[in-house]
Amino acid sequence: MRFEEKLEETDKGSLWTEYCGFLDLTIPEFMQIQRRLMEEQIRLWSNSHLGKQILNGKNPTTIEEFRQQVPYTDYIDYADVLLQKRADMLPDEPMLWIQTTWEGGKHPIKVAPYTKGMLDTYKTNMVGCLMLSTSDGRGKFRVNPDDTILYGLAPLPYATGLFPLLLNDEISIEFLPSVKEAEQLSFSERNKKGFKLGLSKGIDFFFGVASVTYFVSLSVASMNKGGSGNKLKSSASISPAMVYRYMKAKKVCKEENRDLKPKDLFRLKGFMCAGTDSRCYKDDLEDLWGIRPMEIFAGTEPTCIGTEIWSRNGLYFFPDACFYEFIPESEMYRNMDDPSYVPKSYLMDEVVAGENYELVISVLKGGVFMRYRVGDMYRCIGIGCTADETYLPRFEYLDRIPTVIDIGGFTRITENSIQNVMSLSGLSVKDWIAAKEFSENNRPFLHLYVEMEEDSFLSNAITIDVLKEHLGVYFKYLDNDYKDLKRILGIDPLEVTILKCGTFSRYQQRTGRKMRRMNPSSYDIRELVNLQNEDYRIIGGRIR
Amino acid sequence: MNNYTIISVFATCCYLFLFLAFMAAKKTRVIKSFMTVLAAFLFWTGGSFLMRMEMWPGYPIWFHVSIVGLIYLPYAFFYFVHALTESEDRIFIKIWFILATINNIINVTTELYIPCPELVLNSNGQTAFIYDIGWPIAILLVSAALMVLHMLILLIKNSSENPMAKRQFIPIFVGIIALFIGNILTMVPFFSGFPIDIVSGVVNAFCMFYALYKKRLFRLTLLVSRGSCYAMAAAIAALIFSNFIQPFSMFLEKNMGSIGSYSILVISLVFTLSTLLLYSILKKFIDNVFIKEEIFQANNLKDFSLAVSKSLHVDEILGELVQVIQNTISVKKVYVFIHDMDGQAYTMVRSTSPLDNRNIKISADNPTVKWLLKNDECLMIKDFKRTMMYKSMWEEEKRQFSNLSVECMVPLKDGDDLVGIVLLSGKEKGMNLNSSDISFLDSVESVASIAVKNSRLYEKAYQEARTDELTGLLNRKYFYLTIQEEVDKIKDKSSLALVILNVDDFKLYNQLYGTKEGDKALSRIASIIKASVGNSGYVARYSGKEFAIILPFYDTLSAKNLAESIRMQILNLNKRSEDYALKVLTVSGGVCSYPYSASNVKQLVEYADMAVYNAKRKGKNNILVYTTGEKIDVESPKQNLGFKEGVYSSYASTIYALTAAIDAKDHYTFNHSKNVAYYATKLAAAAGLNREMIELIREAALLHDIGKIGINENILNKKGQLTDDEYEIMKSHVEQSISIIRHLPSLDYVIPAVIGHHERYDGRGYPRRIGGEDIPLAARILCIADSFDAMVSKRAYKNAYSVDYAVDELLAQSGMQFDPKLAPLFVSLLKEGKLEIQNNTGKEDVS
Repeated sequence: MRFEEKLEETDKGSLWTEYCGFLDLTIPEFMQIQRRLMEEQIRLWSNSHLGKQILNGKNPTTIEEFRQQVPYTDYIDYADVLLQKRADMLPDEPMLWIQTTWEGGKHPIKVAPYTKGMLDTYKTNMVGCLMLSTSDGRGKFRVNPDDTILYGLAPLPYATGLFPLLLNDEISIEFLPSVKEAEQLSFSERNKKGFKLGLSKGIDFFFGVASVTYFVSLSVASMNKGGSGNKLKSSASISPAMVYRYMKAKKVCKEENRDLKPKDLFRLKGFMCAGTDSRCYKDDLEDLWGIRPMEIFAGTEPTCIGTEIWSRNGLYFFPDACFYEFIPESEMYRNMDDPSYVPKSYLMDEVVAGENYELVISVLKGGVFMRYRVGDMYRCIGIGCTADETYLPRFEYLDRIPTVIDIGGFTRITENSIQNVMSLSGLSVKDWIAAKEFSENNRPFLHLYVEMEEDSFLSNAITIDVLKEHLGVYFKYLDNDYKDLKRILGIDPLEVTILKCGTFSRYQQRTGRKMRRMNPSSYDIRELVNLQNEDYRIIGGRIR
Repeated sequence: MNNYTIISVFATCCYLFLFLAFMAAKKTRVIKSFMTVLAAFLFWTGGSFLMRMEMWPGYPIWFHVSIVGLIYLPYAFFYFVHALTESEDRIFIKIWFILATINNIINVTTELYIPCPELVLNSNGQTAFIYDIGWPIAILLVSAALMVLHMLILLIKNSSENPMAKRQFIPIFVGIIALFIGNILTMVPFFSGFPIDIVSGVVNAFCMFYALYKKRLFRLTLLVSRGSCYAMAAAIAALIFSNFIQPFSMFLEKNMGSIGSYSILVISLVFTLSTLLLYSILKKFIDNVFIKEEIFQANNLKDFSLAVSKSLHVDEILGELVQVIQNTISVKKVYVFIHDMDGQAYTMVRSTSPLDNRNIKISADNPTVKWLLKNDECLMIKDFKRTMMYKSMWEEEKRQFSNLSVECMVPLKDGDDLVGIVLLSGKEKGMNLNSSDISFLDSVESVASIAVKNSRLYEKAYQEARTDELTGLLNRKYFYLTIQEEVDKIKDKSSLALVILNVDDFKLYNQLYGTKEGDKALSRIASIIKASVGNSGYVARYSGKEFAIILPFYDTLSAKNLAESIRMQILNLNKRSEDYALKVLTVSGGVCSYPYSASNVKQLVEYADMAVYNAKRKGKNNILVYTTGEKIDVESPKQNLGFKEGVYSSYASTIYALTAAIDAKDHYTFNHSKNVAYYATKLAAAAGLNREMIELIREAALLHDIGKIGINENILNKKGQLTDDEYEIMKSHVEQSISIIRHLPSLDYVIPAVIGHHERYDGRGYPRRIGGEDIPLAARILCIADSFDAMVSKRAYKNAYSVDYAVDELLAQSGMQFDPKLAPLFVSLLKEGKLEIQNNTGKEDVS
């Protein structure tokens, strides 16, 4: 029975229990579901050719044995099988192959298979998210089959393209524009069309990557501005109710001396966002739409794994999407410094409030990724919530792991990709570090601290602008996602600081260690920058 | 009697019937509220009817009764909807009740709203009621409108929040619309003189009744009791007779002459008979219309209870269970799963069709099983899918249920244990299981659970009485019963073969590896035999290490072939890599068949035994068939010896090789071993042991110090006292001997003697520190021989002790180090000159 039919025939309480009942689980109940599904997954995976290849003769039967015997994995461990889409090697028959970018420049794409069980779970959990996005308390939701949704995410074969497909399988919510039409349109055309349709049909839901959603939302204000942009008035199919709202909004905006905001025209029932840096945009999005977006946690490899709830007070993981393990931050750093060290991991019933963790997942229901380091960092902000009457650990998405810099949920910049940019640019960069930093208005950017070869100042024009321009060109050349940042969001996320020659050597001399190149701690960066104030010179290639 | 009267009578009867019927029902809040509505209708319609009939005590009284009902009606409606929607806020129940009561008191006392009508006679002689209604009636109408409005708000609010409730409320809405239309139509001239408002009231009451019925708030069988039917019949008869009694009496008096004088008696008789007739018609009508299905279910349940109470066989009970469910609620498929003995899963044991794939199990930790364990009721899969427990179901389990089209699971429970599960697929014609089906299943479940529990207990007890606990095979007693039964069955019609398999050297196996390992071996052998024989015959544990196979309809050759196949499988049993440390197990078997070689059970068993004996004599690990005329010459030691000599001669080369090896390393030990062999065999012979045992002891003696090959020569040949560490190393020669001999399967029977030759009778020896009779006899003999030779031999640090000294020592240590019977026996042999002192020089043995 589809969700739409259930809405007609089932009482609200039962529907809530079916889709959002995981919020009532206690930690032992949650773990019981996790363990049972993991037992099935271990059996399926261990019997597959892929599993045998990674297990290398080991035969774990229990979860404990599995965690002891199976190493953490990365995409490279699966690449030979998955990139060739060798279904015969997998634990279960894949229904779909979902694609995403792997690592700018070096590996263009990675693909992940989705089984029927995974898709069913994804579907159920997405419907749960849809209900929760409209909820202002336990058991309360407002979802109707005639609702409309403005959808700002990429179509298939990207994971985000699954959402409309799966949701329409359950409920005939109207996507603005329709999924088929959207596939033919460019990003900006799609948004324009979506808003235009919204003006006549209304918009009940909005779902997108937070950074994109913010950018799109701002375009509503621009639609109202004079000149050729006065598109709202020219919309032929605008509904009478919308005309009234528009007139009223114009008056309010004039009185308050501000631009038109989407909340003046639309009354969203549910607002969902996803992607890295969502927290940087949430306040602004709330201001624009009058409703705080509910963050959803999904990815190509892990599927849809968690969601915030009505109180927007932390993320709760779904018990049936993946088996979750958490590597404490300190263990992760220890492993970064010494790759031979195997960091300890903890389960959902072992996490501690206030601690930062790297997430490790094993995809259930015939998934291929086991003990897979997704590359995401979470903070456990509490165990249960008295106000919301929940018992499960609550998390906050922090960022990607330090070795990966993601700006606005678009890029995947690694040490390798920056090194490639440096080489291609032909600039005489002697040493560098890269860090993700946030501007005054809380927007993320990539900050490169570079030290040039001493001689290069004599033969080349080296200014910050030249470097920024030069490196930017090669970032765009190597990384399509980086290009999209400019194309879609209109932002240039690169900042460059040129350090005095010899600073890195001085730092190493002073501290006795080499600084981590990707995302070193902000204290280390400050120390490095401050070193420039000291009086030292390079004589014969050595610091004096 | 005009339309008005008939319809009023009918409406009153309907209300009365429903009211009386619900008197018998369990009074929930909804039922109580519905009875309040019925009471209000009853007052209104009944009062109005009696007023028009001008019944005693006068129409003004009946007028007020009617108006009381009318004023309470909106409140009663509100109360009913409030209860049906399960609304929480009860304050309005009180407010509207107080308002309706105040209105009633005002109207009864002051006739402010509706004054009592005036009775006038028409020109055509008919009576009519003239109402003089003023503006105060508006107060009454407003208060009624408020209540109705509130009621509608409750209904609409609940419908929008709960789509399920919406459908339940449809009859209520229909009823209200009918009532409204009915009252409007009274103003239409076409209906003048026809009480359409009363008809609409009846329609409304039935709509409400239907809403309750759909909500399953009562059982019709409980409502339609004998009492309520009697009351109904009596009420209708009374109404009819109240109208017809006078004309009927007059008719009798006028036309029936003499009977007329008994008119009262006749009328009473007709009244009684009519009431009875009405009762039976009513009962039959209601049975057929309303409760046919429930009666059908009840009868089937009764038949099922009766059938299962007569059986103590689980299979029969489950067969009945499948039958009753399929017959009663016409589901397409029924599958019964029963808990495995190991408790890991539930296995399908019965289903609607024998062609169903029964190779299906439900794991004991399946979430549905956990749900059924927690709850004592049927589980609807569509409801279960909405629970969080469903999330932990495996995809494979979901597919399994989907393939079986399971819609409902019924638990079979024994206290807190779930002994079985009944799975039901969908009903025929795509219908859904309704609550009546579920309540039937609940009843069947409780009957079946008890029956299954009892029959399982019985079957367990039955099984335990006839089977061997260790192997699960038939025990000896049932072996004899079964073979007799089978022989009786076959008589002259066919043949029967008996195979007896005897595990070779099993006592040794037990000694070597302990009884626990021995039991394991027996179990494994039993399962091989069981698997090979299957349903072709019966397998019994005939004695400790003997198995008997009864093979009805088998001839000798087939039986021998089967036995051979089993023998080969057993031979390969311990050849698996993980069992390399265990001795190879073999069996010797005998086959005898009826009627070819034996004419009765006694002979069959005796001859098969004889064949086993012969198989043992011929070197074990083979199967022999008994043929007529074959006898075993147990008295012929010569023949026996020849066989033994043959066997041992094949081991001699191995023993020679080993002793040569020790000789090369340590000549003293070689001589010492030969001397010990001499003393030990003499003592064994004197102790009355048979030749076979004596030979065993000889070999054990030759090999008892073979482990010294592994001891460092510096320690072995050290002159002077050994240090503690060296002594420990020296002691380890016992284990080392065992580890060498263990690799020689043909010689492993000497191990118990070798391993025990340094044990002391008082339990203070080594390596196992066992004492008394627990030390194998051969080991106790070796111990004496070994010690004696050590004492009388010259060692590196001491001269040889005298024989007298050694004799004294043996006697002194008798019962401590040595066996208290064997040590004196050895001494007496010495004293009687039956033992020659053997010469030896070299290093000292550690004793």
